[in-house]
Amino acid sequence: MSRRPAGIAAIKNKSLAQAKYKDKGNEIADNQFAQMGKQMELFKGNLEDFATKHRDDIRKDPEFRLQFQEMCASIGVDPLASSKGFWAEMLGVGDFYYELGIQIVEVCMATSKRNGGLIGIEELRRKVEASRGRNSQAISIDDLLRAIKKLKILGNGFSVHKVGGSFLVQSVPGELTLDHTVVLQQAQEKGNVTKSDLVNLLSWEEERAKRALDFMVKEGLAWVDHQSGNEHSFWFPSLIPDFSNSLN
Amino acid sequence: MADFDWPWQYKFPPFFTIQPNIETRKKQLEAWCSLVLEYQRHSKQYGLDVTEAQSSELFYNKQLNRKLSLDAIYTVLEELRKRGNLTWKDKTRKSCTLIWRTYAEWGKMIYNWVVAKSMMNTVCTLYELTSGEDSEGQEFHGLDKDVLIQALRTLEAERKAELMEFDGSEGVKFF
Repeated sequence: MSRRPAGIAAIKNKSLAQAKYKDKGNEIADNQFAQMGKQMELFKGNLEDFATKHRDDIRKDPEFRLQFQEMCASIGVDPLASSKGFWAEMLGVGDFYYELGIQIVEVCMATSKRNGGLIGIEELRRKVEASRGRNSQAISIDDLLRAIKKLKILGNGFSVHKVGGSFLVQSVPGELTLDHTVVLQQAQEKGNVTKSDLVNLLSWEEERAKRALDFMVKEGLAWVDHQSGNEHSFWFPSLIPDFSNSLN
Repeated sequence: MADFDWPWQYKFPPFFTIQPNIETRKKQLEAWCSLVLEYQRHSKQYGLDVTEAQSSELFYNKQLNRKLSLDAIYTVLEELRKRGNLTWKDKTRKSCTLIWRTYAEWGKMIYNWVVAKSMMNTVCTLYELTSGEDSEGQEFHGLDKDVLIQALRTLEAERKAELMEFDGSEGVKFF
């Protein structure tokens, strides 16, 4: 039996069905959207309740602040996105980080004379805490990193370099390449590094090691020592902890 | 000196190498200048003999096994001279006088003490001023004679004192 081609009626039926499906689909989507909206409303309400309830904890306890930040990040909320609006009013979280940002800038500027604009995160934390006075809340490394991230909005003046298990904060403009960060990593343990260290440990060409070290001397980040035996060594004040709380 | 508060740089080995980078060297010399002045003030020394200084703890950190070379010491001392904190005793630049307080400041300090002691209008010898029992405990007690005379000359210029010489010894009268 041969198939007859579909008639006009069949085609009409088919497009009718399609239109109905579409309607139904829209209806379901609307429903879901409404549902979602309701859920978000509920969620926002809960988060607000939570934030209000734990407001003091968030402000005072760095550990708790970190967890709260992580929770917000995992659901795509940035409490620091704006200083105006719900979060800032509710928590003063925004202000907290802006204030911290300013203090970080102050400490970095004051110590740049000593360290050439490169400071270890732990030293920075100690100095910022000292400058905030005795009665203010504790500051964690995480707080500092978040505040510095916010400072980037203002331009490329600030950058953070991961060196070993710690961080160095650079507050002078000037591009540190990967090579320079690696040099700092090598120097971290003893506070200094020589050209042969770089050649032997990293299998660098001598020229590459020389260029990296010369650059860091030129930028005022490294000091040269001519009395270190056979070979000159290069020292980084930013890697030598300064245990005083003074800014100079 | 056990109780001298060494700056962090003193324990930083490259501090004892004059730095090639101009900006860094500026900071380094500044730190050296204030270290030398602080050290001299702390140990109450006014004169400095360059040859001796080479082996003194000021320029030689035995713990680190780092020392400032003779050239570098001259660089630091010349920087101090430019700042008005040092005068060479002669042209050979073998020894110098360090001025960690300006002459005028010394003069003022002595004058205030004289007023407090009501020793106005009397003549006292220079020896009395800096080595006598009365001035014990004063900061200018034991002051270098050259510095003292310069300090008194600043007072003389203000007509607050007059230097005089009698029987081979020197004295001063305050008004």
